[in-house]
Amino acid sequence: MTGEVTDPGGGFSGLPLEGIRVVDLTVVWSGPGATMLLGDLGAEVIRAECLTRDSRMAPTTLTKEQAEKSGYAGAAYPGWDPGARPYNRNASANWHARNKLSITLPPLQAPEGREAFLRLIEASDVFVENNAPATLSKLSLDYDDLRERNEKLIMVRMPPMGLSGPASDYIGYGPNFNALVGIAAMDGYEGEPPTSAGENYHMDEGAAAGVAMAVMAGLWRREDTGEGCLIEFPQSESLLAEMGEAIMDLQMNGRVPATWGNSHPALLQDVFATADEDRWLALTIRNDADWAAFVAVAGGELEEYASAGREARVAAEGEIRGAIRRWAASQEIEGLVEKLIAADVPAAEVMTELGVLADPHLHERGWFKKGYHPETGLHMYPGHAWRMSAVDLAWGRPFPALGEDNEYVYREVMGYSEAEYEAGQAAGYIGAERPR
Amino acid sequence: MTEPELQGLEETPGGRDAGVFSELRVLDLSRWIPGEFCTKLFGDFGAQVIKIERPGEGSLTRQAGPWPGDTPDPERSGLFLHLNTNKKSVALDLKLEEDRRAVLNLARDADLLVESFRPGTLERLGLGWDELSQANPDLVMTRISNFGQTGPYRDREASDLVLQALGGPMHATGSADREPLRKPANLAMYVVGRAAAAASLAALLRVKRGGSGTVVDVSAHEVMLSAPDRRSAYLLTAAYSGTNAPRGIRSAHRGAVLPSGPFACSDGYVMIYIMRQFIEKLLDLLADAELSEYFASGEVMLDEPVEARERLNAVLEPWLAGRTKHEIMREAQSRHIPMTAILSIDEVLDDPHFAARGFFHEADHPRAGKLRYAGAPWLMPDGWRLRSTAPALGQHTEEILREGVLR
Repeated sequence: MTGEVTDPGGGFSGLPLEGIRVVDLTVVWSGPGATMLLGDLGAEVIRAECLTRDSRMAPTTLTKEQAEKSGYAGAAYPGWDPGARPYNRNASANWHARNKLSITLPPLQAPEGREAFLRLIEASDVFVENNAPATLSKLSLDYDDLRERNEKLIMVRMPPMGLSGPASDYIGYGPNFNALVGIAAMDGYEGEPPTSAGENYHMDEGAAAGVAMAVMAGLWRREDTGEGCLIEFPQSESLLAEMGEAIMDLQMNGRVPATWGNSHPALLQDVFATADEDRWLALTIRNDADWAAFVAVAGGELEEYASAGREARVAAEGEIRGAIRRWAASQEIEGLVEKLIAADVPAAEVMTELGVLADPHLHERGWFKKGYHPETGLHMYPGHAWRMSAVDLAWGRPFPALGEDNEYVYREVMGYSEAEYEAGQAAGYIGAERPR
Repeated sequence: MTEPELQGLEETPGGRDAGVFSELRVLDLSRWIPGEFCTKLFGDFGAQVIKIERPGEGSLTRQAGPWPGDTPDPERSGLFLHLNTNKKSVALDLKLEEDRRAVLNLARDADLLVESFRPGTLERLGLGWDELSQANPDLVMTRISNFGQTGPYRDREASDLVLQALGGPMHATGSADREPLRKPANLAMYVVGRAAAAASLAALLRVKRGGSGTVVDVSAHEVMLSAPDRRSAYLLTAAYSGTNAPRGIRSAHRGAVLPSGPFACSDGYVMIYIMRQFIEKLLDLLADAELSEYFASGEVMLDEPVEARERLNAVLEPWLAGRTKHEIMREAQSRHIPMTAILSIDEVLDDPHFAARGFFHEADHPRAGKLRYAGAPWLMPDGWRLRSTAPALGQHTEEILREGVLR
């Protein structure tokens, strides 16, 4: 690896991925979530974008009036205002873009696009993409093509169903593939069919850290062997590890998981309405101690069940949950959770985002970070997924405007001459504004 | 050191004998899904993982089941069997001075230690970072907890549900007129474990480059808040415009005109996710001239979303009801429309796609017998391999401790 940073004692004092350059051709959620984690660790993540392609889930033009009419989608823009360049102001893209760089490439179908992309690959360590499997093949940008230009490259592809097999060309979003691995079938309100389920984009959540780990496994191996490699990250199969106990239960007992809703077969738990509109109490009773503590707080008709042990609670679960429901409905949420927590009962309000933004624990831990960008102004940004005592994870620019790093990447990374760079500008592919 | 004899395990075709992490030694002091999944990801890729378990009781995952015939048996818990492949088990009682010394000795030769006790527990036992880093300055100590090692919630009790209520996208999940809905099964706990594994590997990579050992602080709360299951984007949206994500419109990111979510069909359910760019293809699939004409007549989705949705569903739902989930998936996918069958886990295990890829691997466990296990989360050279099934409680105590004495 290059770009070593040493501490006064002579050891390495930088971030784990300092000096590692990542080409990021990912779109939507799971891929950008993965490359975000690599940027946190000090990698230079370059988002390869294109002025004629939407890589930020935002239109080229959108008026404030249209945004205000478009429901929650309009709320993704600061002050509900998409501004002159909505693609620079959209929370659905900016949430993952901290520390990243942005360049605009010519379309990859064009010879100059292919050559520019390959020059970027030559100068990089890692390439991550989450397009449909056939996309790169059509462009003759498979691993074998790229390896010819950079044999140490680690290429990570994240096809939802893998690169081979009868369903490998299936298209869809996270929920579609949740369905193919058994997750959607057990999602829904308690005892109700899967049609009662809400939004569930779990595959996106599951893949991000997995891909980050796979990239680092590739780098680890490269340190040992000097070789690059292709890593196939089939997002659906990666998720099947989360179904392990259901896979075992099926084989051991022929059982297929039911929809549990908020309940859990081994616990007494649910989400309860309180006296405050749309403010909800999440409560779990794990054992006799939790139960005794809870009954002491709740009192009233619940005292009737005060001495109920685990088996008795299971036997009377419907009645008990009914009694808790009646009790919770009479309680104001303010102060209620604090009382339960003081009694060491696992409880929380189901938090809205504005509630999370005000959370004292997160502020004490410095989780939210301030970020300023001329395109959006100053805002609080969600923080890192984890932290290390030895070094702070990277917190640089909150996001790059489209094409913001063209000059640095083309000239210094890809080695374009001034004349070549100016030719790209004149041809209209190096720029910062999408054609309307 | 000789490996104990293994039974019925498959070789990964083309793979070297050693996995990518074969130089790593991992001590696993955790007792629940996040920690055990974290260390599984190292063990399955070649690391030597030594699980420290309480004598006579063992990991909590041994007591969680499912068990064959629903008869509790710590050696046949499906959760434990799944999470503890490629690990060794050493029975040590951290309440005993002698056993704590053994842990410290093992930590001297370890690269990574993973724990998920309540914050402060290991300090009280004299196995905190001060002691561990003194024994081994290059050690990575990954500490998984509900709310992190610092801050006012540090010592709060929590559960999966409570953590999802605080951290996950739960308030925006479910029906508008009903209570918020959590993620099913133990999915959220696995997400925490995977994040801990990635964080651990990052810290190990830093040590490999010459950096010092470190504590990695993994707060389940923060893992969920930062995740791409929309919560992180929802938080930034709230910071940008003061708006909470709504619950109960099918996708929070657009209007509700286009069908997205689970729908009933003749033999079960399908998952449909139609974004704007798929509407033409969907109309072609449904082949209803009147409906196509209506959608072509103007900006109906913007101008009269309720009417547009009702007219679309009035054609879509009977179309679905006349077909099986596999028929729908085949027809839709042949036209590149995002519709898939909602499969239950028995159908997943029999699915021809995963079978063709050889995803599931059968192995024979001395007590639980032949079972199929979920396979590689990703494919790479020197990658995933099922080298051994889960250990019996304390199976390797003598072997590992003797090795320690000899050193």
